[in-house]
Amino acid sequence: MKVRAIDIGGAIGAVALLALAPVLGNSGYLTGVLTLCVIYAIWAASWDFMSGLTGRENFGHALFIGAGAYTAGFLATVYFANPWWSLPLSVVVAMAFAVIVGFPTLRLRGPYFALAMLSAAAIMQRLMLIFWEQTGGEEGLYGLEPLINSPLHYYWFVLAVMVVTAAVLMLLARSHWGLILRAIKGDEATCQAAGINVTFYKIASLMISAAFAGLGGALYAHYQLQVSPPLFSVITSITIIIMVYVGGMGSIWGPVLGAILLTLLTEMLRGFGEYRLWIYTLVLMLILFFLPGGLVAPLWRRLTGARS
Amino acid sequence: MSETAAVDAQVRGAAGVPLLAVDGVRKRFGGLTAVKGASFTLAAGEIVGILGPNGAGKTTLFNLLTGFIAPDAGSVKLDGHELKGLAPYRIVNRGLARTFQLTRPFLGMSVLENVLVACLAPRVRHRMASEEHARRILDQVGLREKAASPVEVLPYGDLRRLEIARALATDPRLLLLDEPFAGLGSSEIEPLANLIKRLHREENLTILIIEHKLREFMALVSRVIAMDFGEIIAVGTPAEIVRHPRVIEAYIGRTEGDGAAA
Amino acid sequence: MLQILVYGAVISAIYAMLSVGFTLIFGVARILNLAHGSFYALGAYAAYFLTSVAGLPLLPSAVLAVLFVAGFGVAMERFLVRPLRKSQLAVLMITLAVSLAVEQALLITFGSEYRNVPSFVADKVTVVGVDISGQRLLALVVSVLVLLGLWLFIQRTRLGAAILAISQDPEAARYMGIPTDRIFSTVMAISAGTAALAGVLVAPFLTVQPSMGLLPMVKAFAIVIVGGLGSIPGSIVASLMLGYSETIVAYLISSSWTELVSLVAIVVTLIIRPAGLFGRRAAF
Repeated sequence: MKVRAIDIGGAIGAVALLALAPVLGNSGYLTGVLTLCVIYAIWAASWDFMSGLTGRENFGHALFIGAGAYTAGFLATVYFANPWWSLPLSVVVAMAFAVIVGFPTLRLRGPYFALAMLSAAAIMQRLMLIFWEQTGGEEGLYGLEPLINSPLHYYWFVLAVMVVTAAVLMLLARSHWGLILRAIKGDEATCQAAGINVTFYKIASLMISAAFAGLGGALYAHYQLQVSPPLFSVITSITIIIMVYVGGMGSIWGPVLGAILLTLLTEMLRGFGEYRLWIYTLVLMLILFFLPGGLVAPLWRRLTGARS
Repeated sequence: MSETAAVDAQVRGAAGVPLLAVDGVRKRFGGLTAVKGASFTLAAGEIVGILGPNGAGKTTLFNLLTGFIAPDAGSVKLDGHELKGLAPYRIVNRGLARTFQLTRPFLGMSVLENVLVACLAPRVRHRMASEEHARRILDQVGLREKAASPVEVLPYGDLRRLEIARALATDPRLLLLDEPFAGLGSSEIEPLANLIKRLHREENLTILIIEHKLREFMALVSRVIAMDFGEIIAVGTPAEIVRHPRVIEAYIGRTEGDGAAA
Repeated sequence: MLQILVYGAVISAIYAMLSVGFTLIFGVARILNLAHGSFYALGAYAAYFLTSVAGLPLLPSAVLAVLFVAGFGVAMERFLVRPLRKSQLAVLMITLAVSLAVEQALLITFGSEYRNVPSFVADKVTVVGVDISGQRLLALVVSVLVLLGLWLFIQRTRLGAAILAISQDPEAARYMGIPTDRIFSTVMAISAGTAALAGVLVAPFLTVQPSMGLLPMVKAFAIVIVGGLGSIPGSIVASLMLGYSETIVAYLISSSWTELVSLVAIVVTLIIRPAGLFGRRAAF
């Protein structure tokens, strides 16, 4: 698909709107919500790069998010490191997790891989509780320092990270690398016959996906100033997948917008408290049954008259 | 036994410097031995056919040569280098490419993209990773006009050409074609045969073709390896093969051309 | 030693009940049901509700609980899963959504605190010199009987034969005129019912709380990976392996380490033998 002027214009407009919204709204609350939106956008984009392109749906993305966040947590509470170390180290740790988990699981197809990842994340969550002396158990780790003191400046920083993340992943997805990932989705045996090292590309893509998820995890940890086991939970993973679904799988920018919209929706539904997850489930069912291609990306293409 | 030895001698005799040397390759699936110790060699520049009824073990043999199935025993050497135990993609990058009998394009992608993927194989990436190159290959197989179409709308005959294009994109020295004529109408067979001939001549490709019908490729190949029940039963020129008693018994005798034995 | 033998047997039997249903519905309908753990949790909560809130006697409560969950499973398959069967991802998503919705519903209705269900058998029993609560022993005996019954049903009845035929070759079964949709419903009922029964049986001696279904789901998955997806004998053998490994780990190290056993089992199996002990297909 060609990149059109209107797409670039739309992207610049969206980023400008995101950057200016807290200033225009002049509300600390809005800044906080938008920071969360943008962090979810990083997670959704990183999920989509691996799973949307190769068709290997990762039901345990929370594994990498939690790994990144806990890395930040340990650095702050055990090693009292400069908080900026969190960012590179969480990336490294999340990538290490991707290698360890990816080698056994990425040989598997479809639901097998999905379930293996789901289990891996569930068990990490469990481990956080088992080793409560080190991890703080249910309460998790407290006392992280903010990376940037001004919430507005931190928001802009996170927004910049998100824009770079999305740009890098989209460029990769449009490159030969992305072509190979789409070929893997098509037929692995044919990829082999075309001389492509399928395992390498799958592991490397999972590592890239994990790297950005872990980075987002660290940004989240320094936003909440604490980390706790639910970061590893199935709900975290499934929330991201729903966001990708709403955005339109495989386009990267669609899931970014899907994440932002759904996080905003979540905030608006805060009054519904415990029923929120049901509303999410309902959204998911409606999308599954009526809009299998997603909402955001197809809608934009339709509105701007793109073919396919 | 002596007969097998004689066959072996015949194979080796026919070859000059072997590009491909297959020695005692064997594969069992449960109780069934799909390939019983196949041995043969191919000289560079040859165009050879493997003939046999359905179920004779031809496709299994291809899968064994290309690493898609691991052989139980035996060796496969390309230019003296052992291929056994290598992953399929590594074998492709050594210069041995294949097509699938049931066409397996990358769905959700255009014809050009399908070929471009193969241009990204490590063997050729440094000089071929470009749309121009992929287009040149589509030219060779006569699919230039279809470059932008999604593979889903491609007619069957074009899918067969796309299989060949993908294999060619990896710049192979030896090309294995698994029943390239299967499912084609009579009007499509001759152009495809001509394409294979041209590739053999102009690109100096060594080609090994599986076919279970005689007619299609007797004119194409210079030598035929006949298989039945997982064994090589005869090797010779097409003219010799059609008169070979074991081939007649195992194959032509059963049904005209169609190998109902399966 | 004997303690390990007896307690391991109880855990293995419960795992077998959970994983047989999980593998059966996959083998027959190719549904990888992430809501399987919810059936287990729903069974336990239904037993809690019927006994402690509605005040019904134990046995009818147990029967009603199992029937209710079986009906819930059938409805889920019919209305939510079947329309989406073409896409395996959609099936995973919808069953996961159901499991989250169930967990949330339990949380809203019953709160997050632990609930108690009275034991069916209150007395302690001594088996081969090991003291064991009657409830655990009952769980063991009932599980074994149910599994035996299931085995007889599949081996000896026409319906069972049809189920086996579909799980071995869905296409051929369709051509032979086996009504696959009806069979899916039957298998779903069996699958949900056995999971619920497992929940009912363990409710008196394990904690009953809304998220109780997730871990058993992960374990059922581990067992099914080890045993081979779709293979009933495989899942029973793997249940014994996992049940005993966990008991031994709990005995030798600490019960909090048992969760790691299933992780190790999954990883080791995936590396050494992706098709599982009894799996026919490579990987998938």
